[in-house]
Amino acid sequence: MAENKPKVLIVDDEESIHLVYREELEDEGYTVLSALDGPSALEIIEKEKPHIVVLDINMPGMDGLEVLRKIKEKHPNLPVILCSAYPEYKQDLSSWASDDYIVKSYDLTELKESIKRNLAKRGL
Amino acid sequence: MPELRRDPIVGRWVIIAKERGKRPHDFVVPKDEVKGGFCPLCPGHEYTTPPEVLAYGRPPGAPPNSPGWTLRVVPNKFPALRIEGELWKEGEGIYDKMNGIGAHEVIIETPHHHETLADMPLERLVQVFWAYRDRMVDLSRDTRFSYVIIFKNFGRAAGASLEHSHSQLIALPIVPYLVSQELKGSKLYYDYKERCIYCDIVRQEIKTGTRLVAENHEFVAFSAFAPRQPFEMWIVPKRHHSDFRTIDESQFQALAEIFSVVLKRLNAAIPHCPYNFVLHTAPLKEPYLEHYHWHFELLPKLTQIAGFEWGTGFFITPTVPEDAAHFLREINLAEEGGQDGGE
Repeated sequence: MAENKPKVLIVDDEESIHLVYREELEDEGYTVLSALDGPSALEIIEKEKPHIVVLDINMPGMDGLEVLRKIKEKHPNLPVILCSAYPEYKQDLSSWASDDYIVKSYDLTELKESIKRNLAKRGL
Repeated sequence: MPELRRDPIVGRWVIIAKERGKRPHDFVVPKDEVKGGFCPLCPGHEYTTPPEVLAYGRPPGAPPNSPGWTLRVVPNKFPALRIEGELWKEGEGIYDKMNGIGAHEVIIETPHHHETLADMPLERLVQVFWAYRDRMVDLSRDTRFSYVIIFKNFGRAAGASLEHSHSQLIALPIVPYLVSQELKGSKLYYDYKERCIYCDIVRQEIKTGTRLVAENHEFVAFSAFAPRQPFEMWIVPKRHHSDFRTIDESQFQALAEIFSVVLKRLNAAIPHCPYNFVLHTAPLKEPYLEHYHWHFELLPKLTQIAGFEWGTGFFITPTVPEDAAHFLREINLAEEGGQDGGE
């Protein structure tokens, strides 16, 4: 049964974010995968084949925009939602490769709607 | 001994730090790291941008938002201002505000990821200026807008976030403060002398030649007398007109030629030099203005803006403009591997 649930990969260097997102997104019926940095996210994508990625931008080492470019180069059809506390990264045209850009909030309504919308576009 | 200089149009003072006397090789600009990976502006990735509002180069019958273009203009995916809605203005006590209505577009200047304006063939550089004009003409039909600003950021230090060559356009419901200052300054001069100050500047720069960088039958490029950045240059049409939208066929070609020469010279003098350029033109709703003159201002990004600049509006430039022009003129583009056209 679990295999039928869409898999959402959360990429964020803050562990508290993973706790909140996991609880709320599992309640929505998703299988939640976690990565604390870009390189781990890229590995998980190859191994676990998530259906959608929720990606933080401001992370140590490889930042979210670099991770985004690498993901889209290899998997152009994998939807990626940028989810950052900082709206100013919208000015960076690298962010255009994403499928959505959401300013981080503890109210996850907008994020949940975006996940739903982007999965629906791909028939999930 | 340093020198204070005053911009004759807006009255801005700058300090020319003559004793520093920086030459081109004193400015060491590290080459931006090539990011690689997926580029949303490259052909084949049209699906990542909002639907285009203009494209050149596709064969007849080819569908929009498909590859085969030589230039594309698309709305900004995450715009600074929103195109939808009515404009409302209101006061909050003594303060004024309005909702953020505007258009924010990106001009994708080339299908080639690593091509720059400096090494672009002239016929495609002409297209870039055509696109500026075509978008301005189209947006000026929207009565909510008072001004269209067109600018380019080249290099990360100058604010470019993506190496794929592009410029940006923002249509605004107000005339920006800096443009108002230019309009006021040039009107004062006109009221006193009954001449356009820019026409007078063009005549003087050609006559003295000390700040001249390049010239052709339609345009002149020269080091600004009171620059905000080292190697700041203005590119000004010889024919008087206040509004860029009136540019004609022969001016497009000559503008591309002089831009190509100026950018090649700048790149030869200071390799990978980051820069911004901005089109200065009359407000959309103004009729022909005798006192104003459209032009481009090109500012290399070579010094930092800090407390003194923010506090005074002064800028400190470590290169004498006449020296900057001399360095740029002396460059032999044929030796540098470029074409020395347009002069």
